[in-house]
Amino acid sequence: MREPTTHPEWQPRVVAFLCNWCSYTGADLAGISRLPWSPAVHIVRVMCSGRLDPTFVVRAFRMGADGVIVSGCHPGDCHYQKGNYKALRRVHLLKRLLADFGVEPERLRLVWVSASEGGAWAKIANEMEATVRRLGPLRLEPDPRRDEACIAYETAPEAEIPPGPPFSKGGAEVSSSAERGVS
Amino acid sequence: MSRGNGNGNGAPQNGDARVGVYVCHCGVNISSTVDVEAVRDVCASRPGVVCSRDYKFMCSNAGQDLIKKDILENGVNRVVVAACSPLMHELTFRAAAEEAGLNPYLVQIANIREQCAWVHDDRERATAKASSLASGAAARVALHRPLEAMKADVNPATLIVGAGIAGIQAALEIAEAGHDVYLVEKQSTIGGQMAKFDKTFPTLDCAACILTPKMVSISHRKNIHLMTLSEVESVDGFVGNFKVAVRRKARYVTDACTACGECLKVCPVRVPSPFEELQADRTAIHKEFPQAIPSTFVIEKQGRPPCRQACPVHQDAAGYVSLVAEGRFAEAAKLIRRQNPLPSICGRVCYAACEEACNRQSVDKPVAIRDLKRFVIDWERKHVGEVEPPPPENRHPESVAVIGSGPAGLTCAFDLARKGYTVTVFEKHKKLGGMLAVGLPGYRCPREEVERDLAYIRKTGVEFRSGMELGVDFAMEDLLSDRPGFGFDAVFLGIGAHRGLKMGIEGEDVALEARKRGAFGVITGVDYLRHLNLGLPQETGKKVAIVGGGNTALDAARAARREGAEVTVLYRRTREEMPCEEDEFDDAVAEGVRFEYLVLPIKVLGEDGSVNGLECLKMELGEPDASGRPRPVPITGSEHVKEFDQVIPAISQRPIWRWLKNWSTQAEADPSGHLSFTPWETLKVDPDSMRSGHPKIFGGGDVVLGPSTIVESMGQGRRAAEAIDKQLRALPLEDFHTYVPPRDPREGFEERPHSYAPRYDETPLAPRTPMPKRPPEIRVGDYQPVDLGYSEEQARAEASRCLKCGVCVECYECERVCEPGAVLHEMTDTVKEIEVGQILVSTGYQTFDARKMMQYGYGLYDNVLTSLEFERMVSSTGPTGGKVLCKNGLPPRAVGIVHCVGSRDENHHPYCSRVCCMYALKFAHLVNDRTDADVYQFYIDMRTFGKGYEEFYRHVLEEGTTVIRGKVAEVVPARGSNGGLGEHLLIRCEDTMIGRFREIPVDMVVLCNALEAREDASEVRRTFSLSRSPDGFFMERHPKLDPVGTTTDGVYLAGCCQGPKDIPDTVAQAQAAAARVLGMIAKGQTLIDPVRAEVDAKYCSGCKTCLDLCPYAAISFDGEANVAAVNEALCKGCGTCVAACPASAITGAGFTDAQVLAELEGILAPPPETTTAATEMR
Repeated sequence: MREPTTHPEWQPRVVAFLCNWCSYTGADLAGISRLPWSPAVHIVRVMCSGRLDPTFVVRAFRMGADGVIVSGCHPGDCHYQKGNYKALRRVHLLKRLLADFGVEPERLRLVWVSASEGGAWAKIANEMEATVRRLGPLRLEPDPRRDEACIAYETAPEAEIPPGPPFSKGGAEVSSSAERGVS
Repeated sequence: MSRGNGNGNGAPQNGDARVGVYVCHCGVNISSTVDVEAVRDVCASRPGVVCSRDYKFMCSNAGQDLIKKDILENGVNRVVVAACSPLMHELTFRAAAEEAGLNPYLVQIANIREQCAWVHDDRERATAKASSLASGAAARVALHRPLEAMKADVNPATLIVGAGIAGIQAALEIAEAGHDVYLVEKQSTIGGQMAKFDKTFPTLDCAACILTPKMVSISHRKNIHLMTLSEVESVDGFVGNFKVAVRRKARYVTDACTACGECLKVCPVRVPSPFEELQADRTAIHKEFPQAIPSTFVIEKQGRPPCRQACPVHQDAAGYVSLVAEGRFAEAAKLIRRQNPLPSICGRVCYAACEEACNRQSVDKPVAIRDLKRFVIDWERKHVGEVEPPPPENRHPESVAVIGSGPAGLTCAFDLARKGYTVTVFEKHKKLGGMLAVGLPGYRCPREEVERDLAYIRKTGVEFRSGMELGVDFAMEDLLSDRPGFGFDAVFLGIGAHRGLKMGIEGEDVALEARKRGAFGVITGVDYLRHLNLGLPQETGKKVAIVGGGNTALDAARAARREGAEVTVLYRRTREEMPCEEDEFDDAVAEGVRFEYLVLPIKVLGEDGSVNGLECLKMELGEPDASGRPRPVPITGSEHVKEFDQVIPAISQRPIWRWLKNWSTQAEADPSGHLSFTPWETLKVDPDSMRSGHPKIFGGGDVVLGPSTIVESMGQGRRAAEAIDKQLRALPLEDFHTYVPPRDPREGFEERPHSYAPRYDETPLAPRTPMPKRPPEIRVGDYQPVDLGYSEEQARAEASRCLKCGVCVECYECERVCEPGAVLHEMTDTVKEIEVGQILVSTGYQTFDARKMMQYGYGLYDNVLTSLEFERMVSSTGPTGGKVLCKNGLPPRAVGIVHCVGSRDENHHPYCSRVCCMYALKFAHLVNDRTDADVYQFYIDMRTFGKGYEEFYRHVLEEGTTVIRGKVAEVVPARGSNGGLGEHLLIRCEDTMIGRFREIPVDMVVLCNALEAREDASEVRRTFSLSRSPDGFFMERHPKLDPVGTTTDGVYLAGCCQGPKDIPDTVAQAQAAAARVLGMIAKGQTLIDPVRAEVDAKYCSGCKTCLDLCPYAAISFDGEANVAAVNEALCKGCGTCVAACPASAITGAGFTDAQVLAELEGILAPPPETTTAATEMR
């Protein structure tokens, strides 16, 4: 499913889901303190790491992310009491699932970053870029038929849900990385 | 798990969206790293984007006008601002949109400054990332729906946490405007650190003079609700409507206190005063300083002394020990009698659970608490004479029968008589006292001591009927019948356990049977002791074997020694496992009792009752059994014979139930209940109320416990008395006040006896005063007491070993002398719920522990002081009355003041503590003012930044202070003129002005230790949902633009909890915070972000997954419709349920699946060809 070839122009892309209270503020602090971190990492703000729907991670990979970071408040410090514990459980399961699908579990990382840990955030972001560079691009084979079916399934009104998407075994059509939009 | 519009193409599904994108240069902040025009162009090509612009400062009016104009003229209905963090200007741009008539929630910020421009230097990658983030925002905002912020009324009451100068100032400002303030302070007084200061820089006005009037106004204001000794436990709700739980710790003194100070004179405890920085002592009941507000005294209790906690009758051990140490023996005796009806006996033969729990054992040996009690009671007899028990509190018509005059029965009778009941004690023997009379040999407790305690109990009106045996002279049914002389309303059964258990081995029964014919070969320990004590005929052999290792075994052994026998104690385990008391054992050994361990008798040898030996097995220790002690295991083939002519088994004891036969048959016919028993033949009672199966019969002591100790039996008698009282007063048998010792009475005292004491391993040793005893060779000849008792000097010396665990030792002296009756030792913590609209956190700071910089010698050398210690020293109310003195009482000849101790130091705190330079100059002035000493200042940079500060610096220089620029390397003791160390100190440093190493001799060193975040900052942070900056202080919403707000709406900061600052800045920040609070009160309403979860009942499958996930219990379940529903008022919008809903029936407004996925797609979408080309062209 994956070829070890690296594209010289390839730049890794990482999506990071950060909770609003601790981690997002912590990442801002890194900025205010001018602590450099990897431009590969793109932050998506959520109110709480407990908001992390595992689908977000899977979809991020399918859309072309090479790595995903989930960051919440430290255990015991959650602004919403225990949302971060929910994230912890979900990420643990998800990692196992990803491994089953041939995605290296290191591509998903759960971390705790408090509002005062700008330095910690910068370090994590840099480490993630290094990890992803070591692993190379995540070359999930897109299957347009499957995608269309998924879209149809998800956007259809309740009354007319079409039959489940046809999951093909072993990519039917191989498309180039350019098609996937790797810059 | 997503449903809705997320799709694979990145195209917004909302065809009506007309997105305007505005990319900010932020001067050069963004544009120096990000190609702003390129970002603009990329966004322009994104679906749904109708215009894309860039501007120098989007947050300026002109920038905002761009957005407004596009909304009004170009039909833009969704806005993306790619600029600084949303935490910075989201509200600004939302307001701009709203002014142009657009719903504010149709605005999305892309953070391309803090999270892009400021942290990347690769322009190409930064630009690509900024484009991605802005594209993501554009894709997301297209799916935004208009939302309405929720409006909530603002509760005009305000909570202020921490009553230092910041909290006091803010409280006064808010109260002045006419609103209620709840001022919560952890300490017993308000005033905070400022109250400790002498003078304040640069004006040198006295801190007390400017602070105390404010403190007094706090106490006078009706709308300030002051809660001292209080801590906020939890905060619920949201801005405008917080629900706060405040724990009000027990003060143990009520408002009735007139602050007369009589209690100070009688308190036997002295502990270092934390207010005086431990440089002077204070009492356990105290007021921190004369002007403290509230002026009500306070008793410091850091947990109850373990000796008291461990005692089944809750004897006030620490209290009387402390009084003995002060030589106040009469008060000590009174205190002992408060809880203990049998003090003479307990002073001699109690097993002393108190000593087992005594914290002194962590230093050397426990305090001899029991021996001190004996001393006090002996002293009382000599100096006070007859003592009258206090009269009963009430009079009740009911009468109670107590069967058995042992410790349980006596305590129960005493307590009931004091409660006002008529009590009759029935005793089978002529001699009263139960096991005290028949089991306890006279050399341990002479009969006259037992008689003395009995006489005391008699005075309470208890009637004793001795020689009345249950089942012989009267029956149980008589007691509860109307027969004359009986007719009791309740019965306490305290018949003890007087039947010694047999060993159950071959030959034993024959020998026991032969006793009837005068043989004495085998007799149980209890029988043997009873015969001796009652003067009944009892022969003792020449070579006696005692079987067992408990107290009865040792009593029998030592008694047999006194009868002239050669005595050997056979025990099946080892010394380690023997249950007898240590003292007892030592005395027995001294008296020549031999001990053999790991031996088990298996056969009594002899004929017709005469014994000539024991066949025994050798044992070894195996696995632990149910009791936790190793199980003894016989060694096969180890049988051997030992020669004895008498065997006294003292293994265990059981109650005697002979009398029960008749009565139980009758009781069975009576459905009201009957007695039942445990497998150990003891009486079954309810463990709380001590009531048996029969509703009028209670039990306690050995009859319930099996063979136990005097004081445990007393504890049970006491509990039964309380239960009987409750029952006779028709109260439910619950909420008992009488005492049950906790499992671990030393809990909370693991390291030190109280927070001002040194750790156990640093406490000086003081050997336990040995109890004077009669020499063994003399004492084995008679039954006179072995222990002689302490002299006054010995008692006081022994008592002074007490560590004063928990500070207050509960001697109740303060309660005794308090005329208004304000002292209430039984006070408990309460939790008060309050409702407030806003919260100000002003919890202050603590100072850096100078011990962490060992090179400066704090804690090692006497005359190295911290700044607060020096502050107290120069205070006219301080430990030296304002004189600057070395520990030897002489004024210093030179003083060195060391700046930046723990501040501006990479190893400790990198930040500047901001106040040290100025107070160091103040110190220099004060030393110059009060002594002839030379003053040296050692500084890194002199920071005198405030109004009048530089002038003050100049003034101090002119006074003749020497300033040396350079960080001090170390402080070392110098050799004095006579060659001895420690006469003065040397400060070693590099003088960077002259570039030379210098050594300055001084007598005193003052360390300007850093201000740092308080130890409890992380708990406070958690309670109020604050953040902490890397320096540990609480984080303001914005370092420049909102230094009093926090990220939690409605919670503000003031004073040093936000960062080190001096008094003027603290007051200014407090006033600013007050202004913010008053502003919101004036507005009366607040808007709450509409980020809330919502259940679409159409999709809800009723699986209830969400119910348990919600930390706020905001989701309820409608069983009829089989759907979940979210309570908007409780939901805080975390989205945990949204993520977990398997049917995607829950959406989170502002963070829907579709919106997040659209953002992802926008971020990860390929860059449009045109832009790539455009970038390449540059």
